[in-house]
Amino acid sequence: MNDSQRIALLILLDREMLLSGSWCGETHLQKATFLLQDMTGVDLGFDFVLYRHGPFSFELRDQLSTTVASELLTLQVKQLGYGPAYVPTTFSETFLQRFPKTTARYIEQIKFISAELGDMNVGALEKLATAFFITEHGTGEGLRTRADQLVEIKPHISRHDAIKACEDVDHMIERAADFRVEGGSSTFSE
Amino acid sequence: MSKAFHEIRDPIHVFLHLDSYERRVLDSRPFQRLRQITQLGLTYLLYPGATHKRFEHSLGVMELAGRVFDVVTDPKNLTDEVRDLLPELQNPNALTYWKSVLRMAALCHDVGHLPFSHAAESELLPNGWSHERLSRTLIESDEMRAIWKSLAPPLEVEHVVKLALGLRKAKDLTFGRWEDILSQIIVGDSFGVDRIDYLLRDSHHTGVAYGRFDHYKLIDELRILPTFDGSTEVALGINQGGIHSAEALALARYYMFSQVYYHPIRLIYDRHLQDFLASWLAENTLLSEGTFSIDPERHLQITDDEVNAAMRVAAATPSRAGHDAARRILTHSHFKVLYERNPQDAKVNFDPGRAIAEAAQLEFGSGFIRYSKPRLTSGVPDFPVSTRDQRIEAAISVSEMLSKLQPTSIDYVFIHPDLRDKAKVWLDRNRDKVLTAAQRQEDEQHERQPKNSAVDTTRP
Repeated sequence: MNDSQRIALLILLDREMLLSGSWCGETHLQKATFLLQDMTGVDLGFDFVLYRHGPFSFELRDQLSTTVASELLTLQVKQLGYGPAYVPTTFSETFLQRFPKTTARYIEQIKFISAELGDMNVGALEKLATAFFITEHGTGEGLRTRADQLVEIKPHISRHDAIKACEDVDHMIERAADFRVEGGSSTFSE
Repeated sequence: MSKAFHEIRDPIHVFLHLDSYERRVLDSRPFQRLRQITQLGLTYLLYPGATHKRFEHSLGVMELAGRVFDVVTDPKNLTDEVRDLLPELQNPNALTYWKSVLRMAALCHDVGHLPFSHAAESELLPNGWSHERLSRTLIESDEMRAIWKSLAPPLEVEHVVKLALGLRKAKDLTFGRWEDILSQIIVGDSFGVDRIDYLLRDSHHTGVAYGRFDHYKLIDELRILPTFDGSTEVALGINQGGIHSAEALALARYYMFSQVYYHPIRLIYDRHLQDFLASWLAENTLLSEGTFSIDPERHLQITDDEVNAAMRVAAATPSRAGHDAARRILTHSHFKVLYERNPQDAKVNFDPGRAIAEAAQLEFGSGFIRYSKPRLTSGVPDFPVSTRDQRIEAAISVSEMLSKLQPTSIDYVFIHPDLRDKAKVWLDRNRDKVLTAAQRQEDEQHERQPKNSAVDTTRP
């Protein structure tokens, strides 16, 4: 996948997330991209580490800046008290038309992730995405072991909420199975 | 008896203060080598005053890191919320230790730089290597470990590495909130003192006044803040009273990038230098295969001085490797600008410079065309602001100016001076066709690809 295709998919994800009611700030896009890549296997090639509010990719941050510089996304201040939102520009529609096959190939995965995450705030996204990160990379498989790891990494999350987040992730993985891209990048096996 | 404290005069910060432990690092071979590494590569060919070195920049970064640390850890500048999130703030011994780590990390953050700093880094290091990784190798070397161990209290080498590189360049290490915020003091995108010092210093030495801003006010208003109201993450942010100095910093950066760092003549000198170094490294059997060595001892042996000497010989000897590139640099007969990216062309072709460069290479020969696409001028401004009524707001919500200052892409195509006039005629006639055809071809080619590949991180 080249830069242009990757950007096309990010624009599409942003658009679908907005349609699903997401605020679409950077954190929302970071977590959505992480789950799109690692849960449904759309190999965008981003490297995620645990940082701001859970899984975070510095390369994705750079890519979003490039996309803004290319006038494909713009930052919009919608309301004080909330961070800015990434919104597709008019030009992005023309840009997307160049990639009918790429967008068609991954639209179902993008719609799935958007529908799942659209109404989540930063706190909910942090719990879910970090729980999935632990499920993917952590040392233990059991629900309670993963919940313990989640509380260790994010001490502000209660154990009760951590268990719930791990349960939610397990259910989401089951639902995502219908959308997984064959030969995707995820190290996770269902 | 040796002095416990030392002062060094500096054109930017007036006095730089060091203790005797920091003096040990200053006197070490990795740090002394920075006396022979120019801060801005060949920029002095364009701005004659720009002959300053990484040595004094690193001292300046240490000085500013200490000042920022004192401001952001001052009890009167902390909220209960931040104190709860960072228990180190209430432990005087921890504060003393970490200030020492911070200043040492600031001092060492650039020891891995290659000759002429950034000029050849992306092309002439083995895959996966960068100057930051070389800095880490040196900080972790036996020579430096002996220094860290000899201090009282001894410093953990991993702590120095974390603060000098930050999480972005040390992803294999686990950063706590405290370590992250301290690394932001040095290498942070918003208020890192590396950036503050280089803007002020480069502005001073180039004579380009756009790089100046009120860093005293800026530093005085810096605070550790939650990333948003109620967040459990913290970041280096600023009081609303300092927002104009933060805007001035962002503008200084914007202007310095457009006027100095990404000036087309500077960029083409970098490309000629890369050409010379590639030939020289390939010929020089003492160095690894066509790249700079990542062995710490060999790294310490190579500075601008060695490259300048080799370049002088090559320029005078047509049979030597890199002769043409060396001659162009030393006689100021660099390639000329044929094409500069503009927003209209970027709407037709996502990568217009590359499309023009590839077509021009086919038309005139690859030896006569050079292409340069540096990184973006800046990222999206992203830091919390503490408002006068105690709320936390995103920077671009508070500042109209920051919301308008978007990142900008730059790329240039250069051509041999003898071909410029002919090439300009060719470009005028073929620009639209080249841009459209290249984009169509690329789209079709990639749309055909059934499988993905990883991000190309090697691209400049």
